[in-house]
Amino acid sequence: MGRRLDEFLAGCRDEAPLQLGVIPFGMLYGIGALAAGMPVWLAQLSSMLVFAGAAQLVIVQMLGAAAGALPIGLTAVLLNLRHMLYSASVAEHVRHLPRRWRVLLAYLLTDEAYAVAILRYARPAGEGPDLRHWYFLGCGLTLWGCWQLSTALGIAFGARIPPEWDIDFAVPLTFIALLTLLVKERAGQAAALVAALAALALAALPFRLGLVLAIVLGLLAGAAVARRREGRP
Amino acid sequence: MSVLALVAMLAVVGALTFLFRYAMIGLFAGRTLPRWLHSLCRHIAPASFAALAASELFVHAGEVVFALSAPKPWAALVAAVVAWRTGNVLATIAVGMAALYLLKAVL
Repeated sequence: MGRRLDEFLAGCRDEAPLQLGVIPFGMLYGIGALAAGMPVWLAQLSSMLVFAGAAQLVIVQMLGAAAGALPIGLTAVLLNLRHMLYSASVAEHVRHLPRRWRVLLAYLLTDEAYAVAILRYARPAGEGPDLRHWYFLGCGLTLWGCWQLSTALGIAFGARIPPEWDIDFAVPLTFIALLTLLVKERAGQAAALVAALAALALAALPFRLGLVLAIVLGLLAGAAVARRREGRP
Repeated sequence: MSVLALVAMLAVVGALTFLFRYAMIGLFAGRTLPRWLHSLCRHIAPASFAALAASELFVHAGEVVFALSAPKPWAALVAAVVAWRTGNVLATIAVGMAALYLLKAVL
């Protein structure tokens, strides 16, 4: 058990610093969920069911804007499609594991757990059998625990924050911050610009379906620009 | 939306999210992601965040409103400059909120 525990604890330890960024998001989600009218139990349950920060913030924002279930669900699902990239990236490292391990690690495969675990897979496994999945588990469970706890904190505080503080404005601010971090090349800029303009142009569509269409148009624009630039020498 | 519809929507989103995460580890283990899907996936986050931020700032009840006296777009602009210069998410939120309170007091 010794080496397994060592790997597990190393994963927890290396994941810990990232929680400084995760905890405010979890609290913001908890506060926003109550402000959007979600019952307390469902706000917490959603952190277990969906377990994806960006998608949960999007759900809360759209709920607050009185969007329909279908557009909210479609937007969140579209946003989470990117997890297939992580899944593809870790596949070669976890393919040999029994199914119960793969199911558990898949559930825990978030942006932040992926970012830390993939660095461990870049280093050698060490003597004896490969136990790096215990490290992955340490990363995933640390993040999971912090996400649940910070959601609960947000729910506890959220009920006491008056609406005139406009605390939900922090959600679009978060999107703006992430956007500037993400958009470094032309294709990403095109995707963001087209999506933003289309969201305004299609705003009149019912149930906020315009948002879903805008995101799809943005994706197509990004892919088209990426393709044109690849074609150049 | 009724609570039941909300629970159903969250359960479906959760199930699909799990399937995306499990896809290449379990469902299609041993296969590679098609190139077109890989290319689309890379732009999902920027497209989503841009569409959501734009509609939050300028759409009210299905109508596009550009009002110079509205504090939120100005506060967002200040936050965007901070995000661009610092790359720091927490600083962006802090400055954006401070700008909003200030503008609400002034405008």
